[in-house]
Amino acid sequence: MNISYNWLKEYIDFELTPLELAEQLTAAGLETNLVQQFPDYFQSIKVGYVISRETHPNADKLSVCQVDLGTGEPQQIICGAPNVAAGQKVPVATLGTTFPGGMKIKKAKLRGVISNGMICSERELELSDDHAGIMVLDEDATPGSAMGSYLSGNDVTLELDLTPDRPDALGHIGVARDLAALLGKELKVPAVKLVEAAAATAAEITVEIQDVEACPRYAARLVKDIKIADSPAWLRRRLQAVGIRSINNVVDAANYVLMETGHPLHTFDLSYIEGQKIVVRRAEPKEKITTLDGKERELDDQVLLICDTRKPVAVAGIMGGENSEVKVDTTELLLESAYFDPVVIRRGARKLQLATDASHRFERGADPNGIPYALDRLAALIIELAGGYLTQGQVDVYPQRIEPLQIILRASRCNQLLGTDIPADLMRAILSGLGMIVQEERSGELMVTVPTFRPDITREIDLVEEIARIYGYDNIPIPEHFSIANQLSKPSPDKVREQIMDYLAAIGFNQIYGNSLVAIDEHPIVLGDEEPMILANALTRDMASIRTSLLPGVSKIAGYNLNRRQVNLKLFEVGQVSSLDSSIDTGAREMSHLALFVSGDYQIKQWSQPAVPADIFQLKGIISALFAGLFKQSIQYVATEHEQIDSALEIRYKGQQIGVIGEPRGRWAEQAEGAYAELRIPTATQLDPVVKYEQVAVFPRVERDLSILVDTNISYSDLEHIIVKNSGKYLIYSQLYDIYEGKSIASGKKSLTFRLVFQNQKRTLTEKEIDRDFQRILKGLEDANKATLREAT
Amino acid sequence: MSLFKKVDELRSEFKQALASSPALSDLERIRQDYLGRKGRLNELFRHIKEVEATRKGEFGGLVNSLKQEVQQTIDALLLAKQSAATPASGVDVSLPGAAYERGTLHPLEQTLREVKSVFHRLGFSVAEGPEIETQWRNFDALNFPPEHPARDMQDTFFLQNNSVLRTHTSPVQIRLMLEDQPPIRSIMPGRVYRNEAIDAGHYCLFHQVEGLYVDEQVTHGELKATIELFCREMFGKNVSLRFRPSFFPFTEPSNEVDVSCFLCGGKGCRVCKQTGWLEILGCGLVDPNVFKAVGIDSEQYSGYAFGMGIERITMLKYGINDIRLFFENDVRFLQQF
Repeated sequence: MNISYNWLKEYIDFELTPLELAEQLTAAGLETNLVQQFPDYFQSIKVGYVISRETHPNADKLSVCQVDLGTGEPQQIICGAPNVAAGQKVPVATLGTTFPGGMKIKKAKLRGVISNGMICSERELELSDDHAGIMVLDEDATPGSAMGSYLSGNDVTLELDLTPDRPDALGHIGVARDLAALLGKELKVPAVKLVEAAAATAAEITVEIQDVEACPRYAARLVKDIKIADSPAWLRRRLQAVGIRSINNVVDAANYVLMETGHPLHTFDLSYIEGQKIVVRRAEPKEKITTLDGKERELDDQVLLICDTRKPVAVAGIMGGENSEVKVDTTELLLESAYFDPVVIRRGARKLQLATDASHRFERGADPNGIPYALDRLAALIIELAGGYLTQGQVDVYPQRIEPLQIILRASRCNQLLGTDIPADLMRAILSGLGMIVQEERSGELMVTVPTFRPDITREIDLVEEIARIYGYDNIPIPEHFSIANQLSKPSPDKVREQIMDYLAAIGFNQIYGNSLVAIDEHPIVLGDEEPMILANALTRDMASIRTSLLPGVSKIAGYNLNRRQVNLKLFEVGQVSSLDSSIDTGAREMSHLALFVSGDYQIKQWSQPAVPADIFQLKGIISALFAGLFKQSIQYVATEHEQIDSALEIRYKGQQIGVIGEPRGRWAEQAEGAYAELRIPTATQLDPVVKYEQVAVFPRVERDLSILVDTNISYSDLEHIIVKNSGKYLIYSQLYDIYEGKSIASGKKSLTFRLVFQNQKRTLTEKEIDRDFQRILKGLEDANKATLREAT
Repeated sequence: MSLFKKVDELRSEFKQALASSPALSDLERIRQDYLGRKGRLNELFRHIKEVEATRKGEFGGLVNSLKQEVQQTIDALLLAKQSAATPASGVDVSLPGAAYERGTLHPLEQTLREVKSVFHRLGFSVAEGPEIETQWRNFDALNFPPEHPARDMQDTFFLQNNSVLRTHTSPVQIRLMLEDQPPIRSIMPGRVYRNEAIDAGHYCLFHQVEGLYVDEQVTHGELKATIELFCREMFGKNVSLRFRPSFFPFTEPSNEVDVSCFLCGGKGCRVCKQTGWLEILGCGLVDPNVFKAVGIDSEQYSGYAFGMGIERITMLKYGINDIRLFFENDVRFLQQF
């Protein structure tokens, strides 16, 4: 909402500059910014007074003008416009002005005569399309003053970004009230004096409220014999300053009172109201009304209507009907000032997808007891602007009074919560300044009557906030010590994830953050068949559901990088995935996943080392290092067939599948080819390693290499299994050392070399013992897999 | 001969010693000769007791500057000799070191860690909650009445089952207060969602850190102290703070906190829109209605809560002007942090 600096001064005397005013209001909770109404180049557009005009000695169509720019010395300016004349006040682009098109005003000679500026047309100043001649200003314009000040009437527009709890500040009086409390000044609410005719309003119009909860109060007045005309300059200027277009005197008056009091009002052309009656009721299903914006709208019973005896004439609190609109020939008015329930207006506005100045205010809560004032103020203003007369009295239907709340404020509680020592008297002064009625009940207890224009204040704590914001948060002292409860800390849920991230970053992986929102068809079944959570109001189709796997995001991000020639990728993501689970109250089960992606070269070629292409074995090794090294847990890998992933390996932890490694295929590989792993991150409690020290063996380890030839279709894991089965007491580990296929080996065969490491904790092993174990392992391999010992070459 | 003259003499002798372009081994010997524990310069120093008292300082300075000169000259010669070494005479140690790649934590993760570490020091635990929430925890329990315009403050993604993608991390407060009795002192980081059109300033999701402290006698003054300390740790010890009144349904009183722009020092720049202030976080005292929703007696207990956006802080800190960069994950972007 915009307010005008000058307009605000009608309700409070203050000396602040516009910038100071904005700072004060912001500090009090009404976030305020200055609005720049004119572009920067307007700073050098000045009001000039044409002292004299003579025809250019060398050009009939040009004039040589002497122009007073308030500098004391007249400036000579050449002008080509036909309408320039001595005695005019005109806008002058002074030397140095640069127009948006790039044209710069410089001292120039036009046909031999010096020109020190340019007199502008409205089009040149982008004020209208008028370029028939220069713009001629009002006679009272001051030479040398800035054109922007002239146009704005020396006013400044301030934009308020209000929080939804402050409907009272949606008008100048409300803003002035806060300012009055801040500055300790008096709020000046204009008095209304009405002259009324003898005929009673009630004799000509009745109001029937059918839904009292939706419309607790409805007041009306009638104005007759008015004449629709343009509004006077002062009113147009006021409305222009707050960004409202002037329409005619009646509509402008209603908008003026709206922006003054914050209370929305409506004006009907009385001649279109049939049956001398206003009926406030819910719309029938499929009932239609054409609103002021010319649109026919279909309604339902969520929408509240203002009707006469035959038809709806307005959508209550949102927009008037076209059928009863005030037009140029209107002579009789019905003025409406009412209070509608915020929720009813909100639902209606949403149903109609219509947000108006009126609905904005009613949704936030208008003042039911401000209705008569706003109505009288409007009536007085219309009579002033459009002539005519008022019938006697308001018709004011208010079946159930909405009373101001009374709240007890304990000064001690207020100080306890704020950490302050504010005297009760000061609290009382602050609240009184905000328009509340304060009585001291008992010592230290204030009985506060909260006016109905502050629907946000319903509890003691709300009064505490009022005191804090007017007292000033800067004035609340900062204690020198913190109080921290003496209690155990809780286990950190992020510990495992942070350890994983740190490890991966340390070995060269870049962490990525993928979008959680994916298209409905982007749910690769990576770790089981899970049903995705679908959005009811998606922004776009490609973000219509929540990821069940990190794969779509990772593959997009990898693709993004590959398209930009970043080919050697090592990426990881730690993120939440979710799937439908009706046993949880949110309807979804969420899990923390880790995804890894490598492509291109895992190790780039350098002078000292060859390139190592990225593949699944790096990921397998990293995952093993994470579990065995970091978490001291064992995991297993099982080769598996996978719908989305080639060369797939299942990762098992404590007998459960927790992840998969492999090369994504199909649409996932189209974006980015590489090796991928995804797994559920176990929780800290699941992992919770118990590390127990074992004495480091003092007796030497003995290494023996075992090279065997096996059929190429035999898997490493089968061989490893047999080695473990036949290992005996002293084999502490075996490590695959080399694999070789090709020349010097029979086709269909491969050679594997294992390094076997033996050790006894208690003594040095004998050659015999090692030989015996070595031979047993070899025999086991030979028996089970037709492996043969490969002779050393 | 005066000791002062001796200094000059030593300097010229040193220059002479180098004049014959000595070999690597000779250089080492010269160094010992001049700079060793029993070298010539230390020897000269020992004579300082013979210098008259008023000139002792001057003499010490002269010897020291000669010492530095000798040191630097020899170092430079040694370096030149070493880098001239060829593979034939041994290993070419000038070859580049093996390339070790450094990975990176995402810039948002890095900021989050900084935030966590400040609050960790202040005794806050970390708590987390799900990204999909019930409307009750995301709104109702946080004192957003149904059909209240406050719900419009956050454009919400609804799910088909009527749950929502949480619009803030505040529902984790509700979970915490339902699970535990006060005192509660936790921060709650996490991903939140807003149904807004994506542009340089907005994304459909972002990350917040929420904080909550509930105990007896928690005051707004202490909230101010906590936030101020945090901001100084995070943005520099010289930043000043501004607590502006604001409105959040779940706190009363509510504040938005600005820090003086740490990019321009509060003078006004493009980033702070010439105001000299940057909006950093929202906070306030826990609203009694929230306590009511979770069954905590608001007469016995009080508390404060605060929340901030990790993207915003990260963008300000590094001068990042487009939030989408965080989610595009160009590795050339990521590797800058």
